[in-house]
Amino acid sequence: MSKHTSGDAYRNNRVGPILRAGEVAQAAIQAVEDDNPGKKIHVEDRTAYIRIECEDECILTRASMEEALGRPFQMREIEINLGSFSGQIDTSEERVRFYLAKHI
Amino acid sequence: MSKLASSEYYDLVRTTNWTPSYVPESELFPEAMSGARGIPAEAWETFDEPYKVTYSDYVATQREKDAGAYSVKAALERANYIDSADPGWISTLQAHYGALAVAEYAAATAEARMARFSRAPGNRNMATFGMLDEMRHGQIQLFFPHEHTKRSRQWDWAHKAMHTNEWAALAARHMFDDMMFTRDAVSVAIMLTFAFETGFTNMQFLGLAADAAEAGDHTFASLISSIQTDESRHAQQGGPVLKILIANGKKDEAQKMIDIIFWRAWKLFSVLTGPILDYYTPLEHRKQSFKEFMEEWIIGQFERQLNDLGLDLPWYWDEFVRSLDETHHGMHMGVWFWRPTVWWNPAAGVSPEERDWLEEKYPGWNSTFGRCWDVVTENLQKGREDLTLPETLPTICNMCNLPVVGTAGDGWNVKDYQLVHNGRLYHFGSEVDRWCFQQDPERYQGHMNVVDRFLSGEIQPQNLAGALLYMSLNPGEIGVDAHDYAWAGIGKKNQAAE
Repeated sequence: MSKHTSGDAYRNNRVGPILRAGEVAQAAIQAVEDDNPGKKIHVEDRTAYIRIECEDECILTRASMEEALGRPFQMREIEINLGSFSGQIDTSEERVRFYLAKHI
Repeated sequence: MSKLASSEYYDLVRTTNWTPSYVPESELFPEAMSGARGIPAEAWETFDEPYKVTYSDYVATQREKDAGAYSVKAALERANYIDSADPGWISTLQAHYGALAVAEYAAATAEARMARFSRAPGNRNMATFGMLDEMRHGQIQLFFPHEHTKRSRQWDWAHKAMHTNEWAALAARHMFDDMMFTRDAVSVAIMLTFAFETGFTNMQFLGLAADAAEAGDHTFASLISSIQTDESRHAQQGGPVLKILIANGKKDEAQKMIDIIFWRAWKLFSVLTGPILDYYTPLEHRKQSFKEFMEEWIIGQFERQLNDLGLDLPWYWDEFVRSLDETHHGMHMGVWFWRPTVWWNPAAGVSPEERDWLEEKYPGWNSTFGRCWDVVTENLQKGREDLTLPETLPTICNMCNLPVVGTAGDGWNVKDYQLVHNGRLYHFGSEVDRWCFQQDPERYQGHMNVVDRFLSGEIQPQNLAGALLYMSLNPGEIGVDAHDYAWAGIGKKNQAAE
């Protein structure tokens, strides 16, 4: 059968939200771009969910979400669409931070 | 009246490790339930949940989640999507609901154990929400399929499966009982919330949602992805518990718990999620292969998180990676062959076009598993359906309670890993299954798998009819080929007409 190289797939440093497809996910793509200047943002659209990731640390702020959505947004509302995330998480009322403690 | 920001009171209201005066602490938090492992209360108080939520926020958020999922269902109900859906997709839904809906209540029990017995106040707080989450998952996944019970009795298995001795239900229950009903609060945090929910449930609730959306089943895609938003929050109880265990010299114990449950989860998903993603879902709607989803969610994401928290790869990593090309293909063939013994109609998924896809995703498939399907196809084409139906018993693993499988054809490597323990001969599907058993023989030794029960005379009469009776599979519930053999280029109906 195929060569077994997939076992190394964990050797990555991608972190970020994985959101159910929709308005909030689209806004989050814009917000993550704004909140992580200078970083390359990887967006993977899998129809039902969208991965939005960058290297080592990914910030998503309430202010940027409001800007992108054009309406008030409470940070807790992200949970309605946050199906999963890569890396570790740290939440507060003004921003969510996805991060890895160590770079590999 | 201005509302206090939750960050201003969160830590204070969470401080609930009071000093008991009516009973000693050892009675308030018995070790068998709490599993503090000698780590002092002060250490548990350092538990700081990374994903914080207050009760008022919880209620507001959950209400919106439910409003979303139920309104999608209500809006699409009249479109009768199910009536035009591919039979393979119907089987996907029936297998999913039967294996998981009622088991959500077991998860609620496990969360309740942490809510009551965890030594960490933050854990108790989060687990209270986790318990409510799991009750939501049980209720919503029983309600959604209920409208379909008028279509066939197989839909009733959403509720029925876990209350029967059907073999797949038995295997799932053995695993869920091990992880949810029979572990202390700390083990639940590690095995259920961390390993199972941060890792594997993503496969079934987001990976499958991707295929559901492609298949146009927006009700199901919305439902299961909504469920996973609860999981992604309450799964975060495991991380802080892991950190406390590691900081207090219990890394090896934590690692062992992960290694056991990672393998058990892998085996369960190889029989449930593997066939669904690679064989039942109509070809044109497959977003990725099962292996690709495993690489995305389990290796790329979950294993990376494990690594970040200071744990190692499971000792059997190479064997796990190797089995990504093997186990679920074997499980699928077993389920299809023993199809009368499941509550859904397995889709063979091996039409010429599907075989091309399998060969592309799993190079070598045609010369291994494909060769078994060659024989099955030939038998069907010769009108010998009888040769494609079970007359004998499989060997069932005494750990995962699933058939012992391996690669077929040119890559033949099927092996029964045995162990004699207290005079009883046990069979295992792999070295790792046997290792899991050996970590805690007292926990597992008394269990009889379905073949053990057959051979001991518990199942009567000792034939397929007796087995179906034992499994509570009645006419109209017994699985048949989902597409009536159309994939083999013949179909029973065509033959009858000839």
